[in-house]
Amino acid sequence: MSHPFWLLLSIACLVWYSTITIYVAVKGASDIVAMLKTLSPPEDADRAPTLAGRG
Amino acid sequence: MLNFSWPIDGSIVGVYLLATMIAGLMVRKYVQNVDDFIVAGRAMDLHLGIASLAATEFGIVTCMYAAQNGYEKGFAGATPGILMALAMFFVGATGFCIEPLRAAGVSTIPELFERRFGLGVRWASGVVIVVGGLLNMGVFLRIGGEFLVFVSGLNPDYLEIVMTVLLVGVAIYTILGGMLSVLVTDYLQFIVMSMGLVAITLLILFKVGWSSLVETVQANHGAGGFNPFANDAMGVPYVLFNAIFALATVLTWQTIVQRVLSAKDSATGRRVFTRTSFFFVCRFIIPGIWGIAALAMLGSEAAASDGSLYAMPKFLSLTVPTGLMGLLVAAMLAADMSTDSAYMLSWSSVIYNDVLAPFRRRRPWSERVGLLVNRALVGAIGIFLLLYGLWYPLKGDLWTYITVTASIYLSSMSVLLIACCYWTKANNWGAIAAIACGAVVPIAYLILEQVPATHEFARRIGPYWSGLAAYALTGAAMVVGSLLKAAFATDPSPPKGQT
Repeated sequence: MSHPFWLLLSIACLVWYSTITIYVAVKGASDIVAMLKTLSPPEDADRAPTLAGRG
Repeated sequence: MLNFSWPIDGSIVGVYLLATMIAGLMVRKYVQNVDDFIVAGRAMDLHLGIASLAATEFGIVTCMYAAQNGYEKGFAGATPGILMALAMFFVGATGFCIEPLRAAGVSTIPELFERRFGLGVRWASGVVIVVGGLLNMGVFLRIGGEFLVFVSGLNPDYLEIVMTVLLVGVAIYTILGGMLSVLVTDYLQFIVMSMGLVAITLLILFKVGWSSLVETVQANHGAGGFNPFANDAMGVPYVLFNAIFALATVLTWQTIVQRVLSAKDSATGRRVFTRTSFFFVCRFIIPGIWGIAALAMLGSEAAASDGSLYAMPKFLSLTVPTGLMGLLVAAMLAADMSTDSAYMLSWSSVIYNDVLAPFRRRRPWSERVGLLVNRALVGAIGIFLLLYGLWYPLKGDLWTYITVTASIYLSSMSVLLIACCYWTKANNWGAIAAIACGAVVPIAYLILEQVPATHEFARRIGPYWSGLAAYALTGAAMVVGSLLKAAFATDPSPPKGQT
């Protein structure tokens, strides 16, 4: 195996991208939903209680 | 023969662009005030933070300079990425500086400086951040446009039109939705970009082969292609400068720090850093492999005709098949749009928050006016990008341009931040001296390099020793200035809010 350090690092990069992309695609969507819920306009009933927790 | 097919690849790109624009525009109704616009109401959670940071910090310009490093330096060209990952992990694991920064509840780093060093230091910090940041970002649009023109085989005469269309698309959703639009589109862009990067890298490894890549590096660069310390163009000063540059970037680069400041709490901000750290290795390794593959397939003659920067897109235009080409262009568009939008927002937020701070203080602006000013600033930065991109001809190594322009503020801001958080004797004299030193050294180097009479002198010093000198002198200026004030200042009362 020639230059194992660079070979392993290259494989690790491809594995990182492949796995993180799927993981973040699933979890990130729920993060977006939660974030938008927190920032809902005032007419939304959820706005008042969540504002207290911002910052 | 170029492989971009307008009906097939053009449709893939069109669907991606449409989805991004819709997502970016849909969230604009959630922007109620300036805080929502600049830091998304500080409601960002971990996974969105990872996607956003990874998407922002990988643009076409990143891909181009990392590929150029791979073409010119072999695998050793990925050294800056490894150093950046180590710095990112260290800061995330220890909370060094970012813990007190997030705990302070500020929107930008200069806002924190005001509490310790006074309003003047906040304003001066804002100015150097904006100057360094805009000069750094100034080449993004042209490089992005040139990549797309090269890969898709468009007539180079259309470069300005491609740049303008790219910018207008990004500016529309950034102006309307601010950080919220940036986060949501970053999420989509991260997914598209990652799919494209993995697919193209696997294709290259399949077509060129790992052994061929290694043999090419060995034949063209020898041991220096694998070990930065054995490379004549790199060596100890390159590694040392990039290590310090990486730490300073992680601590103070506004687009990175803005993710910490947008996080819902300090712990989330730190986790975004540790879990995104390995991405910074990928950021150099993957395009680096593309650059080495270009060297393997096109040879060193490719650099002679178009310059080493364009060897990688030229190689991709000839290698990537129709269908996958659409995914490549969509991925690179995603990378570029996420970077451009986040950078436009970052620098505009510093202008609004810090450079305009003294003017807002005399007569506070309403949220409505604040939002309007922020949106106008994003638009103005877009116009600047277009004009600078059209006017400035990039010469030489892209990564060196990026590091030198960034150092105009990174050296002083990192020294100020560390001193602000951990050195009780730091004061405004030291801060002003550090800002001046940090800006003067890189600018002096750029001027010495351009003037014929001093060009040889600048070349002998080199960008890495001059960069190291900037950090050393800035640190010394902070210490000497602060101690001088302690020794000679007649008024012992600290600025308002000093602790």
